[in-house]
Amino acid sequence: MARRELARRGGGMTLSATELLHDAYLNISRREGVTFPDRNRYMGYASRVMRRLIIDYARTRQAQKRGGHFEITSISTDVADPMTSADELTRISDALDELGTVDERLVRVVDLKFFCGFSFIEIAKMLDVTERTIQRDWEKARIFLFRRLNRTL
Amino acid sequence: MAQPSSDTQRWLKISAHLDRALDLSPLERDAWLKELAATDPESASEVAALLADHRQLRAQGFLDASPMSETDASLSGVVIGAYTLMSRIGDGGMGSVWLGRRSDGRYEGQVAIKLLNAALVGRGGEERFRREGVILARLGHPHIASLIDAGVSNTGQPYLVLELVNGEHLDVHCDERRLSIERRIRLFLDVLSAVSHAHANLIVHRDLKPSNVLVNQAGAVKLLDFSIAKLMEDTGVSRLTQDSGAALTPKYAAPEQVTGEPITIGTDVYSLGVLLYELVSGQHPYGAAVKSSKDFTRAIVEQEPLPVSAAFMKAPADSRSLVAAQRATTPDRLGRALSRELETILHKSLKKSPGERYGSVAEMADDLRRYLADQPIAARPDTVRYRAVKFVRRHRRGLAAVTAIVTAIVSIVAFYTWQLAAERDRARLQAEKASEVSELLRSVLLSADPYRDPDALSDGGATPSARALLDTLAIRIANELTEQPEVQAEMLTVIGRTYERLGLIDKAAPLLENALEIGRRSFRLPDPRVAQTLNDLGVLQRRLGNFAASAPLLTESLSMRRAVAGGDDDKDVAVTLSEYGRTLRDLGRLDESEKATRDALAIRMKVLGDDHRETATNKYDLGQLLMDRGEIAEAERMFHESLVTNERVLGVEHPNAAASKNSVGNVLAAKGDLAGAETLQREAMVVRQRIFGPGNPESGFAVQSLAATLEMQGRFQEAESLLSEAYRVVVSALGADNPRVVNMAVDLSRVRIARGHAADVEVMLRRALEMRQRTYPAGHWRIAEAQALLGASLASQHRNEEAEALMRAADRIFQPIPGRQARDREANRVRLRDITKR
Repeated sequence: MARRELARRGGGMTLSATELLHDAYLNISRREGVTFPDRNRYMGYASRVMRRLIIDYARTRQAQKRGGHFEITSISTDVADPMTSADELTRISDALDELGTVDERLVRVVDLKFFCGFSFIEIAKMLDVTERTIQRDWEKARIFLFRRLNRTL
Repeated sequence: MAQPSSDTQRWLKISAHLDRALDLSPLERDAWLKELAATDPESASEVAALLADHRQLRAQGFLDASPMSETDASLSGVVIGAYTLMSRIGDGGMGSVWLGRRSDGRYEGQVAIKLLNAALVGRGGEERFRREGVILARLGHPHIASLIDAGVSNTGQPYLVLELVNGEHLDVHCDERRLSIERRIRLFLDVLSAVSHAHANLIVHRDLKPSNVLVNQAGAVKLLDFSIAKLMEDTGVSRLTQDSGAALTPKYAAPEQVTGEPITIGTDVYSLGVLLYELVSGQHPYGAAVKSSKDFTRAIVEQEPLPVSAAFMKAPADSRSLVAAQRATTPDRLGRALSRELETILHKSLKKSPGERYGSVAEMADDLRRYLADQPIAARPDTVRYRAVKFVRRHRRGLAAVTAIVTAIVSIVAFYTWQLAAERDRARLQAEKASEVSELLRSVLLSADPYRDPDALSDGGATPSARALLDTLAIRIANELTEQPEVQAEMLTVIGRTYERLGLIDKAAPLLENALEIGRRSFRLPDPRVAQTLNDLGVLQRRLGNFAASAPLLTESLSMRRAVAGGDDDKDVAVTLSEYGRTLRDLGRLDESEKATRDALAIRMKVLGDDHRETATNKYDLGQLLMDRGEIAEAERMFHESLVTNERVLGVEHPNAAASKNSVGNVLAAKGDLAGAETLQREAMVVRQRIFGPGNPESGFAVQSLAATLEMQGRFQEAESLLSEAYRVVVSALGADNPRVVNMAVDLSRVRIARGHAADVEVMLRRALEMRQRTYPAGHWRIAEAQALLGASLASQHRNEEAEALMRAADRIFQPIPGRQARDREANRVRLRDITKR
């Protein structure tokens, strides 16, 4: 659903990933024969999908840039480019998969925060823990990922 | 940690240590690590290494920026004007910020270079942009980051060169150093002095937020981005339009920025108010609304900010502890510090109307200085009355219910204040208690938000504002007034009853149960308040269709009321006795029901007189009962008397008078005067619908009698259209399982059968039958009614065997009582004959 929405908006994906997720969930959950048992699990799934989407997207954009589409004069903020390099995002994603075998919640927090742009409060509500817990999870996940990325670099 | 995937156990252990460490301040952390090293040196060194990484990654801003918002890192080395971009240091709504240095090496210092969206300047704007930049560069103030240069590069990129401030955001600075409220306010006063200086130069910042207020390494406040505001204004770009493109939550925006009204220095006063609010309490004035940008902009315009102490108390306990620790105090002390003067200052800064805020930043600063010096401040708190008036003004529409509950609660507060003050010895404690209650009321009035709950728009009779108010009140009373069970129980009862009156009956039950439980625990029994709650809960259970649960509650209430009154001749006893009579009628225990109703009537005749509305109510009830038994003449007399009293005492335009009139119509219909019945029933329907308003379930039920008469006249289409519309309303308000809603479903089915759509109503009737078998005792005529109609539906589908069984069962129950029952009985016999003949 989010993918279709992205396609509709063209390449210029903006920060509204959060809204897309919300909308997508609402649409899905209103339908008969809901596939996801609850919002929580849906969010877990959807945020993983978002991660993949963003990496794909970053890759496409990078290819375009190499094709000479880059212009310095239009540093516009409302058309945001995913310019963390696609390779780096892929490495982050691999490290996340690794982290998932140890502590799944940390992965979910990173997906929701970093890839989907949810606030700590929102994530806390989704996962039904305190905001402070999410903040700690986030810091721990960053430490883990930071180590992992620097080691393999 | 070296191979985390292969060592889950290890990670979990380290993870727990990290949780602990991340909650400590740097100082505490060192001490804690030393302690850990003594018992578990291996973990300690690992944690220490991880924390070192943590510092490093934070300094680098690792994963800080979403992958969707970063711009190209390859701008590094690009020359803009006299400067070379070095590395990207941040992002703003207007563009990206880079660390830069002079290309010509003329001076060593580093600068911040802000690259603005080219579209902001537009053609021909470059020269003006440059000129303005020069003027603004003169805006010198020790707490304002100065503008060094402004221009447009030869590639058309507008840029600003700014003093580089190496520092932290104001809120982070305060939290990490655990600054007390007083020290926070002192720093904030520097912010105010900077803003005030800018205002004196006719510059409004219009985007004050923590990321624009830095504290440098020397501990001095530096405000960023003043110049940009002015530049944007002069180059004709509206700031908010620009920001909204980035779909960010305008957390610090003033209402006028959201609505597009003129920006004044009051706009900055407001943003400063939000900033200070967060700085002292760690909370945002609109609480949860911040979560979605749509709700949030609405909240900014329509919702009153939560009083800061209430916002803090509402936060979860562990978050309160953390916030307090960051302010070097305890949650209790912080809670107290936030009430009174600080709350008043914040409230004045956050007024919706710029004219009601502080007239200048200097005035706000003066009040904060007075606060620090323990002198009286200039701003005045709003009184309960003032807020109530404000509330009423904001929610004129559909306010009757709210007014009722506010009045009820205010009077409870007044009662306790008075009662408690009367007991001299405990006067001080009492005063505190009373003020706690009134404070709660005040803050709820403030925060009631008609739009918070979108479901509220589609509910039955309750207006959104009433419902939001009740919801908030109920939660807070249940959570906060635990020290005062008496007040708590009584207020919960009041709210429960209000819910019920608004048609939100499923919400009322838990409240009343809670009130009852508290009441039983805290009052010395028998107590009139507990008796009242029992009564209310009994009534509620009946409305929910739980007749069996209703009866014992009412009998308990009744005996308690008798004990309190010391006998029967008491109006409260009559109230519960009447309710008990109604429940008995629903249980099919007609003899007992008649006795209870007649007893209640006798008490009321004695205590209230013949010509009282409550007496009229009993006559009406008695009339219904007599109709059930087929004693039409006696029923007619009762309805007639109740009608006369109601019209005289309450007026024609009252639901009770309309109900009496409707019932007189029912009697006429039972006697065969259908035209006479129709006139009365139609008049009654119009009055009731006007009073209850569209969407209220009572407006739906108001059509029932008229529809029955139309049906008897063979005007099936009219009857069906009335009923199907009404059915939609009552289902959405009360749900399909409510017994009165089931009644309507049965009526609707009957008309549809008559119109030849018998097969369509099978599902509806099966459900109705099932519900009635659950609610009514075996042998009740309402069960027979559903059986007979379901039989008709099945017969039309040639499922004769099942149809016949149902019809026969119904026939055994039906009595030849004039009116509906007699007609259904007759129709059922005809159909039974038809299928057995075939």
